[in-house]
Amino acid sequence: MQDTLLNWIVFIPLIGMTVVLLTPKRSVGAIKLISLVTTFVPLVLATWLYFVGFDKGVVDYQFQFRTPWITSETSELLNLGVFYHVGVDGISLPLVWLTTLLLFIGVPASFGIQKGEKAYYALLLLLEVGILGVFVSLDYFLFYVFWEVMLLPMYFLIGIWGGPRREYAAIKFFLYTLAGSVLMLVAVIALRIESGTFSIPELTAMAMRGDLLGTNLFAGGMLLGMKFTTWVFWFLFVAFAIKIPVFPFHTWLPDAHVQAPTPISVILAGILLKLGGYGLVRACFPIVPGAFDDFAFTLGVLGVISIVYGAYVALGQTDFKRMVAYSSVSHMGYVLLGVAALTEWGTNGAALQMFNHGTSSAAMFLVVGVIYDRAHHRDLNGFGGLSQPMPVYWGMTTLAFFAALGLPGLAGFVSEAVTLYGAYQANDPRFRVLVVISVIGIVLTAAFLLWAIQRVFLGTLNEKYKDYPDINAREIFCQAPLLFLCIALGILPYLLLDWMEGSVENWVAGMNQAIQVING
Amino acid sequence: MEAYWEGMKAIAPELVLTAFALLALVQDLVTKGRNSRNVGYLTLVGLGVTALTLLGQESRAEAAFGMVEVDAFGRFIKMFTLASLAVVCFFVMSDRRERKHGIGEYYFLLLGAAVGIFFMVSTNNLLLLVLGLELLSLASYALAGFHKGSKASAEAALKYVIFGGLSAGVMIFGISLLYGLTGTIDISEMARLSGDGTPTGLAHQLGQSPIPVAVAVTMVLAGFAYKVSAVPFHFWTPDVYQGAPTPVTTFLAVASKAAGFGALLRFLGVLFVRGDAQQLVADYGTQVGLLIAVLAAVTMTVGNVSAIGQNSLKRLLAFSSVAHAGYLLMGLATMDEAGFTAAMYYMAAYYFMNLGAFGVVLYFEGVTGNDDIESLRGLGRKAPLISIAMVAFLVSLTGLPPTIGYYGKFLLFTACIDGGLTWLAVVAGLNSAISLFYYFRIAKNLFLKEAPEGPAPAAQPMLTGLMTAFGVATVIFGIYVAPISDWVRSSLDLLG
Repeated sequence: MQDTLLNWIVFIPLIGMTVVLLTPKRSVGAIKLISLVTTFVPLVLATWLYFVGFDKGVVDYQFQFRTPWITSETSELLNLGVFYHVGVDGISLPLVWLTTLLLFIGVPASFGIQKGEKAYYALLLLLEVGILGVFVSLDYFLFYVFWEVMLLPMYFLIGIWGGPRREYAAIKFFLYTLAGSVLMLVAVIALRIESGTFSIPELTAMAMRGDLLGTNLFAGGMLLGMKFTTWVFWFLFVAFAIKIPVFPFHTWLPDAHVQAPTPISVILAGILLKLGGYGLVRACFPIVPGAFDDFAFTLGVLGVISIVYGAYVALGQTDFKRMVAYSSVSHMGYVLLGVAALTEWGTNGAALQMFNHGTSSAAMFLVVGVIYDRAHHRDLNGFGGLSQPMPVYWGMTTLAFFAALGLPGLAGFVSEAVTLYGAYQANDPRFRVLVVISVIGIVLTAAFLLWAIQRVFLGTLNEKYKDYPDINAREIFCQAPLLFLCIALGILPYLLLDWMEGSVENWVAGMNQAIQVING
Repeated sequence: MEAYWEGMKAIAPELVLTAFALLALVQDLVTKGRNSRNVGYLTLVGLGVTALTLLGQESRAEAAFGMVEVDAFGRFIKMFTLASLAVVCFFVMSDRRERKHGIGEYYFLLLGAAVGIFFMVSTNNLLLLVLGLELLSLASYALAGFHKGSKASAEAALKYVIFGGLSAGVMIFGISLLYGLTGTIDISEMARLSGDGTPTGLAHQLGQSPIPVAVAVTMVLAGFAYKVSAVPFHFWTPDVYQGAPTPVTTFLAVASKAAGFGALLRFLGVLFVRGDAQQLVADYGTQVGLLIAVLAAVTMTVGNVSAIGQNSLKRLLAFSSVAHAGYLLMGLATMDEAGFTAAMYYMAAYYFMNLGAFGVVLYFEGVTGNDDIESLRGLGRKAPLISIAMVAFLVSLTGLPPTIGYYGKFLLFTACIDGGLTWLAVVAGLNSAISLFYYFRIAKNLFLKEAPEGPAPAAQPMLTGLMTAFGVATVIFGIYVAPISDWVRSSLDLLG
């Protein structure tokens, strides 16, 4: 069980999908139950893995499972050396756990969906397989396969069950991500030919030794006047940056979010965006550390632009969901800024921020979903005084918003503060300027969130909304674990930090050492 | 007498095919078109017997004074042809719009085209190659115009004839130049080193001036480019694909195209890449590879961009097949074993996903009566199984994992990057993103659009079952790649 645990976590939803597909279309209750069970079991396993199985003292990957996939003993040409290789470390484990949690929450959050339930839950479960697969893959080929596997369910989930402009939003999401990932594919193949392996740990180790400069593939490691590593870096970076999304690759996000049904928005903001940040940390920067060093400041600038621009645009939105979507652009900017600084605090902060944004943004999208289900519109200016008929809802919303805007005592504060502190310590003094600029983003975030609360919950009560029922038990059930995490990790951030620290320190040390080797 | 029988054995599969082609014609004549399904069954039996003969053949032989080569590569394309023809026959039998009389000629022409393919891919002799190619072309012209009453079908046939005639002329002119330059019509002789080590044939000519060779090779390539519908010789493709009966379109898109690629691969492989090729010739081959790389890039881009605006499913798939010709050319452009293997694997992938896509089009044509994309609206919920299979084909055509099309593209990209054509891999990658846009217009109409009121389409269990099996195979062979890649690997034996 121990060494195959990750396989169970990843593939139990696939079993669930198969069972759902075999269930008759009419037994909606059974379909929902199967989906609940097959998302709950991975959550339980992941929780066990987090608190019991995982050894915090080990920096290397744990629970590894490796078996040949596409290899050949007879032909050199066909021996691609592709392995099914999975494992977790302190950086991926929290995200795996978060994924299982949000997908589990995603099922009851979807109970409002009335058409094509069978297909819906089957696709949701397939989506979970794809996401979990990316987080645990240690083989780049496998990573890529999982990366693409999640696109298809997402396309249909937005496209079939989404809002009025769902078709446009779905294909836009698909095209943006695919355009990035074909670049990733080219880079991955080039790395494979250069190094002879798809294994991410091996590629990282080679890069850390100062190898992997493209000298086998191109004379002097140069291609069209640019270093091989630079090409690889930008190809991979664009693929992941689209997913995060970093300015200027963010334009798909508001459309996808606004059109997606609530539970899909929750998963999109809560986890899918993390795949971009995770990809950079796991499969881009450590593989081309030299190029990372060359462009670290550029990355920092992109991060800060995302922080400030995202918040500024959010301020101008009148659509509730669109506002929350832009807040994601802003919050994910911290991740890039923190990692670009290449300090222990900065990277820890970035990893924390990924997790905390996963909970707070998911909570915010659930908030929007609750009011949309009742009012069937999301115009921020069309509400008012909702705190009177829906006091509990008001309380929960405020908590989620405060967590997102970084109120001390809540999770968002810890991760943003740690990130900025870490970025300030960067070797490159220009990062201090970036930190100062990014403070504008914090102010703007506070402004648009507080203004939204004011417009929706305070002021005179709109007569139309007088009789609205307060948030119900199912909605509270979905919301509560996220808010609990926002509070708990605000007070006890070491519940995450202790797990991540070892791997993050190792990561930062490795990067610094590699940069030294490469720069001589 | 002994040699005579040896020769007969070498072309036994071709003889069997010819015999069954004639039988089909006779059976239709005798039964006067009654019960046309039986002709279909006879054809299927014929294909099966041919496959058995093929498998029973010696692994390597030469016959008819070196005109016919029996080798694993030829067998690969032949098996491919038989397997696609079997599906095409099945399509003819389940095509609801097919008229029933004269059906014997239909099968006769299909089998005749197959005979052409068989000769075309199993010879190093350019004369026999042209004969095979022309036999294939003639049968295809007649098939394209098979719906005699239909204006579109007639127009398709005429266009096909004119383009075909022109490009065949160009090709034969190129071949005559090659013959004049080297003094032999056999490509394996052209590049070979003479006994005493002095440059002969092509190498001798290249040593003096490469220009005549360049002209000749380009002209021959033009002929092949027409057959595989590569830009700029693709203009016939959309009209013919749209106008021809759907099973014929399927045949042209899969079997005929693969045959063109098979012959082209043999031409390039034996002439430029083979182990005993002289250095001058091999170097020149790299330059030809560059020309093909440019051709590939242009072909896939033109194909994909033109497909975006199409509203007819068959026209869309026509441009998609142009684009796929571009992807396949990537594998030839590298001029090495890895590239050729990748191209052959991609052919196998193309078999599953394209036959599948055309089968689904055939099914929906039977339901809606036309091939308009808009007419598919909401059918995904009325015919879920075949529509889900279609999504698998579309995903595979786009080149997304975990499908066979993805693995094929992965091999092609690997071969290109390894062979110093990284730019081509990047172009192809971006092309995949473009192609997603039009492929998923089909998925969008099937699943995302609301269906107009109406009854569920009548079930066609046989066709649905076959397409579902193809859909499953598309995914399975994308994960479990060993069977096909091993087969492909052992089939590439012409590089010596």
